Amino acid sequence: MPLEASARIVSELTSRGYNAEREAVTRLAAADHTDAALERVLEELPEDALVVRTEHVEAALSALESPASRSAADAATETADPSVSTGTPEPTAGESVDASPVETEGSSTGAGRSVDPELRSLEIVGDMTGESTGTGEYEDFVSVFRDRLDKLGAKLRGRVNHRPATAIEDMPGGSEVAMVGLVNDVRSTASGHWLIELEDATGTFPWLVMKDRDYVDLVDELLCDEALAMEGTLADDSGIAFVDSMYFPDVPRTYEPSTADRHVQAALISDVHVGSEEFMAEAWNGFADWLHTEEAQHVEYLLIAGDMVEGVGVYPDQDEELEIVDIYEQYEAFNEHLKKVPGDIEIVMIPGNHDAVRLAEPQPGFDEELREIMSAHDPRIVSNPSTVTLEGVSVLMYHGVSLDEVIAELPEEKASYDDPHRAMYQLLKKRHVAPQFGGHTRLAPEEEDYLVIDEVPDIFHTGHVHKLGFGKYHNVLAINSGCWQAQTDFQKSVNIDPDAGYAPIVDLDTLDVTVQKFS
Amino acid sequence: MREEDERYFKRLESQLEEAFDVAETAKERGADPEPEVEIPTARDMADRVENILGIDGVAERVRELEGEMSREEAALELAKDFAEGRVGDYETKAGKVEGAVRTAVALLTEGVVAAPIEGIDKVEILENDDGTEFVNVYYAGPIRSAGGTAQALSVLVADYTRALVGIDQYKARDEEIERYAEEIALYDKETGLQYTPKDKETKFIAEHMPIMLDGEATGDEEVSGFRDLERVDTNSARGGMCLVLAEGIALKAPKIQRYTRNLEEVDWPWLQDLIDGTYYDDAGDEEAADEGDGDDDGEEEDADADDEASEPDEPEGPPRVDESKKFLRDLIAGRPVFSHPCAEGGFRLRYGRARNHGFATAGVHPAAMHLVDDFLATGTQIKTERPGKAAGVVPVDSIEGPTVKLANGDVRRIDDPEEATEIRNGVEKILDLGEYLVNYGEFVENNHPLAPASYTYEWWVQDLEAAGTDVQALEDDPRIDLEFPDPEEALEWATEHDAPLHPEYTYLWHDLSVAAFCDLADAVAEGRIEGDGDGSVNGNGDDSILVLEYADDVADALETIVLEHRQRPGDDRIEIDDWRPFVRSVGCEPRRAVADGAALEPEVDDESDGEPAVELERTWSEDDLSERARTWGQEDGDNAVEAVNEVAPFEVRERAPTRIGNRMGRPEKSERRDLSPPVHTLFPIGEAGGAQRNVADAAKHAETMSDTPGVVELQVGRQRCPNCETETFKNRCPDCNERTEPDYRCPDCDRALEPDDAGRVECDRCEIEGTCVETREIDVNEEYRSALESVGERENAFEILKGVKGLSSTNKIPEPIEKGILRAKHDVSAFKDGTVRYDMTDLPVTSVRASELDVDVGQLQALGYEEDIHGEPLTHEDQLVELKVQDIVLSDGAAEHMMQTADFIDDLLEQYYGLEPFYELEDRQDLVGELVFGMAPHTSAATVGRVIGFTSAAVGYAHPYFHAAKRRNCDGDEDCVMLLMDGLLNFSISFLPDKRGGRMDAPLVMSSRIDPSEIDDEAHNMDIVSQYPREFYEATREQADPEEVDIQIGEDTLGTDGEYTGFEHTHDTTDIAMGPDLSAYKTLGSMMEKMDAQLELSRKLEAVDETDVAERVIEYHFLPDLIGNLRAFSRQETRCLDCGEKFRRMPLTGDCRECGGRVNLTVHQGSVNKYMQTAIQVAEEYDCRPYTKQRLEVLEKSLESIFENDKNKQSGIEDFM
Repeated sequence: MPLEASARIVSELTSRGYNAEREAVTRLAAADHTDAALERVLEELPEDALVVRTEHVEAALSALESPASRSAADAATETADPSVSTGTPEPTAGESVDASPVETEGSSTGAGRSVDPELRSLEIVGDMTGESTGTGEYEDFVSVFRDRLDKLGAKLRGRVNHRPATAIEDMPGGSEVAMVGLVNDVRSTASGHWLIELEDATGTFPWLVMKDRDYVDLVDELLCDEALAMEGTLADDSGIAFVDSMYFPDVPRTYEPSTADRHVQAALISDVHVGSEEFMAEAWNGFADWLHTEEAQHVEYLLIAGDMVEGVGVYPDQDEELEIVDIYEQYEAFNEHLKKVPGDIEIVMIPGNHDAVRLAEPQPGFDEELREIMSAHDPRIVSNPSTVTLEGVSVLMYHGVSLDEVIAELPEEKASYDDPHRAMYQLLKKRHVAPQFGGHTRLAPEEEDYLVIDEVPDIFHTGHVHKLGFGKYHNVLAINSGCWQAQTDFQKSVNIDPDAGYAPIVDLDTLDVTVQKFS
Repeated sequence: MREEDERYFKRLESQLEEAFDVAETAKERGADPEPEVEIPTARDMADRVENILGIDGVAERVRELEGEMSREEAALELAKDFAEGRVGDYETKAGKVEGAVRTAVALLTEGVVAAPIEGIDKVEILENDDGTEFVNVYYAGPIRSAGGTAQALSVLVADYTRALVGIDQYKARDEEIERYAEEIALYDKETGLQYTPKDKETKFIAEHMPIMLDGEATGDEEVSGFRDLERVDTNSARGGMCLVLAEGIALKAPKIQRYTRNLEEVDWPWLQDLIDGTYYDDAGDEEAADEGDGDDDGEEEDADADDEASEPDEPEGPPRVDESKKFLRDLIAGRPVFSHPCAEGGFRLRYGRARNHGFATAGVHPAAMHLVDDFLATGTQIKTERPGKAAGVVPVDSIEGPTVKLANGDVRRIDDPEEATEIRNGVEKILDLGEYLVNYGEFVENNHPLAPASYTYEWWVQDLEAAGTDVQALEDDPRIDLEFPDPEEALEWATEHDAPLHPEYTYLWHDLSVAAFCDLADAVAEGRIEGDGDGSVNGNGDDSILVLEYADDVADALETIVLEHRQRPGDDRIEIDDWRPFVRSVGCEPRRAVADGAALEPEVDDESDGEPAVELERTWSEDDLSERARTWGQEDGDNAVEAVNEVAPFEVRERAPTRIGNRMGRPEKSERRDLSPPVHTLFPIGEAGGAQRNVADAAKHAETMSDTPGVVELQVGRQRCPNCETETFKNRCPDCNERTEPDYRCPDCDRALEPDDAGRVECDRCEIEGTCVETREIDVNEEYRSALESVGERENAFEILKGVKGLSSTNKIPEPIEKGILRAKHDVSAFKDGTVRYDMTDLPVTSVRASELDVDVGQLQALGYEEDIHGEPLTHEDQLVELKVQDIVLSDGAAEHMMQTADFIDDLLEQYYGLEPFYELEDRQDLVGELVFGMAPHTSAATVGRVIGFTSAAVGYAHPYFHAAKRRNCDGDEDCVMLLMDGLLNFSISFLPDKRGGRMDAPLVMSSRIDPSEIDDEAHNMDIVSQYPREFYEATREQADPEEVDIQIGEDTLGTDGEYTGFEHTHDTTDIAMGPDLSAYKTLGSMMEKMDAQLELSRKLEAVDETDVAERVIEYHFLPDLIGNLRAFSRQETRCLDCGEKFRRMPLTGDCRECGGRVNLTVHQGSVNKYMQTAIQVAEEYDCRPYTKQRLEVLEKSLESIFENDKNKQSGIEDFM
């Protein structure tokens, strides 16, 4: 839970056009769940109010408390029998939407969910399941990196007057030059300057960033193997160039995200970890129950960004911490939990690093056997990463293993576990979900680089770090959903306090986020 | 010291001096880096300490303090001297602390190991948050070699000196405390710690530590939680620090406490809490939780604690040790498990010290070595359940051998190694591995409570004596074999004298349940006595055998109690030869089948017609057994020994209450030490020599057509002739042959510099270090040719002469090529310091026979051996003589290699130095009496030894004190020998790499004589008696503390005249090399073959659960390998096949950026999935858990997904049908 407290609340409020009393902000900041409270306040604010006052906050906070206890109570009664929710008849099966399968017995439409299948649309781009053609040869690796340079280079080439690395060597000293390439190496020189080696399809060329230049701060953000353009002046011997400016593929500042034509919501979650002793079944049930309520009537899509189950053999002696030791039983249990979700919600999921697919990215979607097990909702199972477009709103789903590396490599103010969305901004800026090769992130070579963010998404959804955080980067909504697994011994030992039991809900018509808490 | 000991040392020293003189003369003539021998001789520890540290005045002070106090106290005393400036010339406080800490470590490690110089990087003064100053000690990896106690004491000394010079305590920040905890866990995961403190414990220590423990990064993995701390330079684990905190402070807290108590200046009250484990000051529930999921260490501690606490309350039962599974951890493919923890059928603990036994060794019967498919050989390391962690295997044939069941149904005990190899193919099951000899000292050293002793001859004979029997008379009776009596003799003694039944006829009743025992008694009562007609007496005094009706449970019971018999299910018979003691033990009495039923000893006369003349009558019924006997055991009624005692007419002891689990560790070693690739001369040739580093190739190499062949650009040290100012890289001026001097320059201002007194070269203007290293063109061809000419050799004298790519020493002084030419000629190669070495696994021996050493009595006499161990004059090859402390036995391979080295040295003296040859060896017998250096890795001091003979075992046998002087124990450790003259002539400090650990494993100093007080004190715990007292055996039943028993150990004779002699043993062995010469691990080819053999053996061994073995092999070997390789694959480096250049990522050009050559992966599909199918197969065949199988399944899918094209899958035949 990002808790920059007051400042964030104020900026959030102003972004929505409200002013606020100092006391109101303080109360909000002190609330247990600032985000939820804030949303509630905004929800309940009289239409004509311009200033958020203390009484608004107080009213909202007290209201927030009762439903919370209500849903807990409901959870208790409803877990036994998922069909408790008011049973409206099942909707007629639409063409674009598969009917809610019989297996989801009883989990019928929530109160007042206006399900008109005709209105829904769901398209997938970039799913490489069944398209894995790489055979692990050296050439496969070469072509994947070439593809990366081609795709990302295309976004940069228009901005500079670039030359190939080998051509630059032959240019006279003092010339103005520019180059587009992948970062091959970043190191500091004895005198504190930075030497960045850029590589393109012809070779490498060293670029020097002087320590007193403006751009020097950007050096901290660089990861190996990301695509960059550099402009500068050749040294006298043409052996090196001095950087004047640096360009990232980036998301255009002016990017205008698409929105849905109607008020419809999507729940973005991840890291369920069924099978772990720490899986929070109650929170999950609370969430499923909530989906049946009127409040959730507009939630028509559920996106799960990986780690459905805790998996087997993910770390040494994992079996000792597993509630369900059998991997297939884990998925079966997950399927049972999925059944509690209303049958008319569209589900899309991608695998994560705990799932029973290859760890190397891109990860293809689950195999037939596992799909068979998770058939309850007939979810769309696609590769990690994939882009799913919901009624015009594109959501880039990526599990998020590379976030660890981004957070480790970049300075804390630019990326940290407390603000996972800020790490996501970096990936958007680099237009690649896992730029650095050879570190934590594993790469499976395919003929093209599926990890490139070729089209700018409207929403970028990740998980993995078990922290909740969201924010906008050049108008792209970045959301790292929390998890459904309480703090593990391992997390305790490395000082990670997970945000467990939250479901961020996105309004697809406005891209606003509300966070529901179930723990 | 006795006169003869003094004579022995004088003799060694004069021999040494003689060699020294020759070497000095040679060195003056040659072009070595120094014109003199570079290994100083140290008379004693004080000398070594001073030599290693290079701090003047230390030796003198150490000698002053030595007589007055313990070494630890002396270290603290010296700390005071440093603090007050009496010793060492340090101006800064940090310097004083550093000097004191280094000296303490050097002192505590007897000036042998490199830890004081390599393991402590620096000491600095930093500032606390409150502005006060504190001391930060930087440890490095090599501190490991100092051992826990010295590590811990180094912290105390640092703290003490800190207090004396007036610096404040370290006040750790919270994040630093947390960091320590995370880091130790990380280090344990990555490298492994002997003892891993729990997080709480680490934090507790970190919080109270009065000085900061720091160090350099040793691993690649980084902590993920507490990163980028201001006062911690690295995010990786700091290995040295982790060792000091975990294995030093945490593990040795009681030892430190002993010294803190006596010091006013320092106060470590928290140590008590640490020792008591009372640092859980916050919540009780957390403690409970901790216990619940505690690791094995914890469990064991808890179990121990429970044991002690609840012993009095517990219902009476047989004394047993607790199982410990630790030794099974990290089981790898190809190294078999011999016995699961405390498993029936495993090795039976017998107490005693054989003459080739010492510290960290285990005596195994040579027949057992063969029967475990040759996996055990002399010197093979085993990881063991107790008392220590690992031990070197030694062959002892005076203990009981293994018992096997053959395919023909015979159950036989095999006491003869030859028989073992004969019957090996017919072995169906190894029912019992035989005895496992461990000496008392092992328990002392490991501070392990005595484990209940097997009932063995040594004990029985003392019982017999205690029962009032004249044992001496029996021993003197030539018709009686007291150790291996006939059954009737044994019965007679058991019934006539008030002593328990002889162990030879005491079976393993304790492994049999009471119920099975009753059934067995039934079966025996039904049995009949037959004459088997083969005329053999079988020790029954007649030609009779016991025949039982065949039944599976009877056969099982007999196998369980390990009684020799023959199973003939086809004939419905089970035959037992030595039946009388057995029959009596199950409470049956043989009666003559006569009407009155009077109990009579059967007298089967040969004329009888074979009719069953004897019937067996069961004298008891189940109801006769007392409640106690019926419920006796760990579990109710699983131990029939009390029942036996109630029904048998004599006392029966527990034959083997302690079984010891173990598995194979490292194989034994006896190999020449070659660098990889091997090096003949430490002369740089850059890339010009190709991948082979061939000097001849380099001499012809030319980069382009226009280059002169053989001219190579190299980094070497610049030397200048003081006479004619000629600049060269050689140690002698090529013009005037004067010795040259290094020409140091400031790299910035190019000013010529002179080294200061401490040997440092610094430019005072630029304040940077000066250097003499420069890149210059060297005509390798010219050097090579002139070297050949100067030693008068032609190129065909050797196959190849290999040089080095570049020099890694500080001043980059190359070795004269001449030496390399002669090494190549004799096929020996140089280690990084210029010496020729041979590695061998260390094993101890205290008495030897000329016959087993391949020498004759005359040779031994010539070396000063005059008497055997009984004081008789030495006249015969089979007499045992007590080994002198510095005499060593070479393996055959070592002898061969030493011969080659000697030839090389002789040529070197003649052809290079122009002197007379020194060795002139004709055959290996001439090596006897020559001096060598023994030198262990991680140490910096060599010990002089003398060759006394040879063994076919692939190990280096020497006196335990010799090994201890090198600071080795014998649990599979290995170290090297060098020929004395080779070390003197060819070693130079100038060759040593200029990096961390560079000075380790190099003879910076040599000890000419061993002082038993100055060796690793582990060896002092070795017992040196010929018999353990009866009280000892009884104490083992109480699981007493070993210190409570009085058995003489080495420590007891220290400082007396007897300190070099009187190492008696309780068990003899026929030969110190028995069993297989090499472990099957080394003779089997591929890893797969080894693993197949390992699993095959696990099926054969009664004491091994093959599923568990398979499970562990997969879990600890295959899975990590698969996972690791898969991970490596997906983030791998690439390498140019042509020039070897490495790239972090595949170049976008596809080709090598350096040479345009072909680039390829470093991790291929083949190396990733090489074990996949095998692992799956093993999991299937050995019925592993579904969890394991599923992990493999998931991995297999991952591999497919990565390495197979979805669109071009291998299709099966059904696709075409």
